[in-house]
Amino acid sequence: MIILSFSGMKFDSLRRFDKRNIIRRKPINKKDTMKKMVKSAVVFALACFALTSCSDKRKPGSIYVPDMAYSRGYETYAERNSKQFTSNISELGGKIFYNNLPVAGTIKRGCNIDMPYWDTAYHNNETIFPYVLTNDSTGYNLSDTVKNPLSALSDADLKESQRLFNINCAVCHGEKGDAAGPVAGKIGGVANLTQEAYVKMTDGKMFHSITYGKNMMGSYASQLNAKQRWMVVKYIRTLQPAPASDSAKAQTDIKTKTAGNP
Amino acid sequence: MSCYKKIINRNFFFLIISLSLFLVNNNLFAQDGEALFKANCANCHKPDEDYTGPALKGWSARVPDKEWIYKWVANPAQVIASDAYAKSLFDKWKPTVMTAFPNLKKEEIDAIMKYVDNYKPAEKKDAAAGAAKDDSADNSLLYGILFLILAVVAFILLQVNSNLRKLTDDKEGVYRGEPVPFYRNKTYLMTGILILFALGGYYTINGAINLGRSRGYQPEQPIYYSHKVHAGTNQISCLYCHGGAQDSKHANIPSVNVCMNCHMSIKEYKGDPIVREDGKQVNGTEEIQKLYKYAGWNPETRQYNPDNNKDGIPDGASPIEWVKIHNLPDHVYFNHSQHVKVGKVQCQTCHGNIQEMPEVYQFSDLSMGWCINCHRESKVDFFNTSTGEGNKFYSIYEKFHKDLKDKKMDSVTVEKIGGTECQKCHY
Repeated sequence: MIILSFSGMKFDSLRRFDKRNIIRRKPINKKDTMKKMVKSAVVFALACFALTSCSDKRKPGSIYVPDMAYSRGYETYAERNSKQFTSNISELGGKIFYNNLPVAGTIKRGCNIDMPYWDTAYHNNETIFPYVLTNDSTGYNLSDTVKNPLSALSDADLKESQRLFNINCAVCHGEKGDAAGPVAGKIGGVANLTQEAYVKMTDGKMFHSITYGKNMMGSYASQLNAKQRWMVVKYIRTLQPAPASDSAKAQTDIKTKTAGNP
Repeated sequence: MSCYKKIINRNFFFLIISLSLFLVNNNLFAQDGEALFKANCANCHKPDEDYTGPALKGWSARVPDKEWIYKWVANPAQVIASDAYAKSLFDKWKPTVMTAFPNLKKEEIDAIMKYVDNYKPAEKKDAAAGAAKDDSADNSLLYGILFLILAVVAFILLQVNSNLRKLTDDKEGVYRGEPVPFYRNKTYLMTGILILFALGGYYTINGAINLGRSRGYQPEQPIYYSHKVHAGTNQISCLYCHGGAQDSKHANIPSVNVCMNCHMSIKEYKGDPIVREDGKQVNGTEEIQKLYKYAGWNPETRQYNPDNNKDGIPDGASPIEWVKIHNLPDHVYFNHSQHVKVGKVQCQTCHGNIQEMPEVYQFSDLSMGWCINCHRESKVDFFNTSTGEGNKFYSIYEKFHKDLKDKKMDSVTVEKIGGTECQKCHY
């Protein structure tokens, strides 16, 4: 459009048209209306720019209807009302103390979905539901007696446990369990799970270590639920070479269903 | 004459081949050294700086003789027992003792040492990348200036044109009236107003559409946490920290204990320099110290602070108040597990190349049109009755199975199974 109006012909005809206009309505204060138009256009354009170009990427921007955007109900990660709640224990009494930790002794809902109660191996093993061994040396030593409640993994379960291992463990222990994960060198002292000491380690001890952490390894109880932890233990067994001596026990552990009762 | 040429040509050909072979061979050795270094040593050593073990560059000036290196690599513990220099090394780096590599041959150790001595840190690449970046920035400015110059030239030419026309008209005796100055020329004014109007309209409408969407939103976080370092360089899976994405509606913000899984050991940042958006360099080690404060962890004693006030968390610990970036309005339902676990959508599809973002910003506009487009295009993992592959849930869609069999359709999209129904997300 701009190019059209700049071309000679159009330009000329427009000017002629202008002249006719001026002759017809000379007395009207033409200049002022023109100026007003220009002014309003400029103001309009500036306002538009101001509305849009001021967006700061550090701020989320504005919204149409806040009532529809923000939930009135309690949402995850929503700010708590600081008049009612406190995470400072010294303010306990006047306000509700809540620091996001589950109340001691709480059992996660859906636990029996992870481990169906008709799985007798699981149901009979009281040491697992809930896991009662404590995070100390006596608990660690006792964990030898805890048996893996899972029977042999199905193909789908094996695939899932491989996925879980690769997400949560392989960062340090390596996808083959050989301590060659991408951050192993930065942490240092990462256990090579294919070594004899870990081949001989009982399932229970491994589960205990994953649940509570060991040395510089943190607890994975918040990332993997009990069933997933047992699955990962099963998967680690498939990465390990067959143990040199007294192998029969560990081997049967992988292949056949183990009894739950200690 | 031609005979000579042939001979020269042949000789030349041989020369080139032998030369190139020589060069390639040389290169092969160097690469060998690099590969061997990376496979065996890089976990604890760096060529040019101290790491878990000492920097290896300049080894020849430090060790007693070359044989010493072979002995040391084969069995460090034995050398420590018998050699004074080895003892001093052990005292400096204890309690860590180097792992023995009895399988490394002498030639291989030579190759490693050669690689270490010739090692140069890769900085040139960055400089080149920076230059390329500058070039692209320059270009857009150049185009802008060119456009302005051309516009001014066009404007001047138009003025000249009208003046000339006036002159010729005067000569021919045609009356045309006084020429109007350009700021009162209605054609110019009209065009100007129209341009302003078009621009204004464009920006207003775009601004209005983008109200409530915050694409590009990149808030400052309480800790300068670089996804590029964690998910990119260190290849930590997204689901390691955001495991909630596969189990629940929210891709949870990891609790501090998840950070501490690695940062109990990693106290310092030693990677490539991180540069903030405003050009300032970030001190990674200081950021890790911030994490220790939030976690109530004492890096000196390597223990959490005791919980004396019995509130269940270490004294002095407090939650990190991360700023949520991706916000959907309350009237939309979105579930992560549905997309990540069932739909097997990659995180990057919606969140962009997170592993390359030092600071995360909102990559997609998260608008309804954007959702619907994806639902129209994405195929579901439809159950294949003949092979038994795919999600078994979809075995109930009998009509689609029939249509697939009759070749009336080749795949099932999310839209076909109701992915664009209003109630699917708004209820």
